[in-house]
Amino acid sequence: MSKTPIVRFLMGAPIMLMVASALSGCSAGTAVQPWERENLAKPEMTFDYDPLDTRYTEHIYSSKEAASGGAGVGGGGCGCN
Amino acid sequence: MAGRYSSVLSAAGSLIATGAMNVYRIGFEAMGGVGEVVLSADTMKRAQAMAASAIEEVKRIELKYSRYHSSGIVHRINESAGDGWTECDDETVSLFGYADSLYESSDGLFDITSGVLRKAWDFRNPGLPERELLDALIEMIGWEKAERRGNLIRLPQRGMEIDFGGFAKEYAADRGAALLHAKGIRHGYVNLAGDIRVIGPKPDGAPWLIGIRDPRDHGRMMASIPLSTGALATSGDYERYFELEGRRYCHILHPGTGMPVTHWQSVSVLAPLAVHAGSCTTIAMLKEADALQFLERSCTGFLAVDRLGVVYQKSCDPEYPKSPTLS
Amino acid sequence: MKQSSITKSNILGTALLTAAMSLPALDFASAESAPERGMVSFKYLNYSESQTVPGTGGTSSSTSTTTRRAADDLRYDLISGASTATTTSGGGATGTPGSSADRIKVNAYTVSTLVPVAGKWSVGLNYTYDSVTGASPQYHTSALTNMHDRRNAGDLAVTRYFSQGTVTVGGSYSSETDYISRGYSVLGSLSSADKNTTWSLGASLTDDTIMPQIPGATDKSKKAVAGLVGVTRVLTKNDIAQFNLGYSHGTGYFSDPYKYADNRPGTRNMTTLMTRWNHHFEGSDGTARLSYRFYSDSFGIRAHTLDAEYVQPISNGWTVMPLLRLYSQNEADFYIATNSPAETAPTPVPAGQVFSSEDERMSAFGALTLGIKVAKKLTDDISFDIKYENYLQRSDWALSGKKDSGLAEFNAHSIQVGVTCLF
Repeated sequence: MSKTPIVRFLMGAPIMLMVASALSGCSAGTAVQPWERENLAKPEMTFDYDPLDTRYTEHIYSSKEAASGGAGVGGGGCGCN
Repeated sequence: MAGRYSSVLSAAGSLIATGAMNVYRIGFEAMGGVGEVVLSADTMKRAQAMAASAIEEVKRIELKYSRYHSSGIVHRINESAGDGWTECDDETVSLFGYADSLYESSDGLFDITSGVLRKAWDFRNPGLPERELLDALIEMIGWEKAERRGNLIRLPQRGMEIDFGGFAKEYAADRGAALLHAKGIRHGYVNLAGDIRVIGPKPDGAPWLIGIRDPRDHGRMMASIPLSTGALATSGDYERYFELEGRRYCHILHPGTGMPVTHWQSVSVLAPLAVHAGSCTTIAMLKEADALQFLERSCTGFLAVDRLGVVYQKSCDPEYPKSPTLS
Repeated sequence: MKQSSITKSNILGTALLTAAMSLPALDFASAESAPERGMVSFKYLNYSESQTVPGTGGTSSSTSTTTRRAADDLRYDLISGASTATTTSGGGATGTPGSSADRIKVNAYTVSTLVPVAGKWSVGLNYTYDSVTGASPQYHTSALTNMHDRRNAGDLAVTRYFSQGTVTVGGSYSSETDYISRGYSVLGSLSSADKNTTWSLGASLTDDTIMPQIPGATDKSKKAVAGLVGVTRVLTKNDIAQFNLGYSHGTGYFSDPYKYADNRPGTRNMTTLMTRWNHHFEGSDGTARLSYRFYSDSFGIRAHTLDAEYVQPISNGWTVMPLLRLYSQNEADFYIATNSPAETAPTPVPAGQVFSSEDERMSAFGALTLGIKVAKKLTDDISFDIKYENYLQRSDWALSGKKDSGLAEFNAHSIQVGVTCLF
């Protein structure tokens, strides 16, 4: 039995919406000051740590699995169908 | 800690520690004193190249904000006092914004127009100035009188002057350190004649130990402060002074009386930025007896020695020398 | 001297310090500034996959009958598992318990560079060449057919840095014998004054042309327009988290022309929800990187992906990074399962069913990846890295949906070797 995309989205959404509101609403106690950001500047603390690695693994996974995307826009396609 | 490092001296830069990463010290002269850049790098050549860019930035600020630079912004503004408006660039406008905060936070004591008082005091020729001269100069002090409109500034009275000397050195230390950090340096510090901004701790993660000079015994370190991050600045009555009939007259002049302050021998402050640490030390010296209350709320930590030699400190965790005398 | 605490009437102290912070570039982490140094990287990927029919007995063998087309026009789309060869639908050897067969092997080479320009811009350029050879099923995990193809792809991204945000515009182009893909994207980010919150908004357009290498086939088109909205939040000095919501609307040709009875809907809408969280441990200087993605599309597929990686610097510039990935999806609405454990022919499409696919990628399965990456900083400017990953895919591991137990088990492993140089 097929469900419309909206219904499917809403079914999976509740947990994610909780996370979203928690993220944008939380003040984490006191705000992090600019001079406390040393650890955050480490490459492994960013979200684009090794772009070429991510590029290869995302490409492989989207060819072997149905799901794709999540964190970026663009990026070319290929004959992966 | 001492066992892991050995020191080797060489020319313009020195290798001061070897270990997992080499630490180099590059000395230079700027801002009327001795400066040094200490950083970790793979080779001496690389250390010198990195330090050169920081030193270049320090010299740029020194030249740009020098009172004597005849085509510089400070000279142009001072020459137009009582006359017309001078247009300033973004960096200068932001420094004026900072001068506003300094003026407010110090209740008018830190005033960048108080430089005119140097006409009354010559620390190479001991002698008290005439009261009339001091009063005439005090007339020309007052940052609240300076007129500002966007990026334009005008000093309304002939003879009024602005001078960034009160925080230019500390600002330069911050800029130099930020530049090195942007270039990838993660261990080291920039030290301009005792005003220090740390880029990061030693390569093994241990803090740098920065000495604070005994205000009455120049060869001796009164304390050494462990510093992994942030800045340390010191103001004292020993930097430029003369003594007359048993009294000391130092270079930090109160804008209301025109006379040197006397309450503190030295004030050292720990804060996230050198420009902030330096401003706090100067304001503390100027506030005299009221300094402690100001220091308590303005900085991460401080170490202050009053005229009688009594030491006050907060959150500094200094390491005091074990033996009573240390040369 | 009695120590007193900093009370809330710290107003003056904070005001002066805040004023100091607003002086030009005195703080270290200016998140939104152009990189100080340029970078050039090279990375090589070696990937190979195989399948095994569970059970004992039988020798390793694979029977794949292939008919080479005239000239040397055997084509394939990279790692897709499609083949141009026409073969008889047979090859029951893949159904024999215990038998295993090699599938695709890929060698890919990518060179990448990022150049800062005039302090406020950066330009990123990537070029990839890959070649794929091997065998791929025509339906389910049967009738493996050989193929070989090469792909060239390039992309360009230009970023402009502002004091509180960035704008990036990008384009990409990829070309292989039977597939051309063109992509265009724009992404903007905006940070709060204290730079602890960053919002991002992106949009992209892809325009693909498919030229199936099958006699009599016409060229097909596939287009998609997609959008992404995200928020990144600094939680503590050791924690940063991100939440992204994406939606894509695609129209055109989604079927696999080289697979039996593959007729998919002409529209595919996809939704993704992803959260990521990085936590730095002060004691060990290690960092845990976690992410969870929920995926749902109009084919009826829902998937969950959980990624966990730990980055641990050790002495002398070495870093070790173990990783784990868990994945599960259910089957597409139109997926047709195997009819028997050792099928010798494709399952007939049920009467009245409009859309169909016997592509194992549309079935319900779970997957596990275990990997380890090691990196070393050779000098201030040069570092290299090497990564090994092992991927296992099993229909048995699906968390939901109807498992198709007739599918062979799928395994893959890959090695990546890379070097990066700053200039």
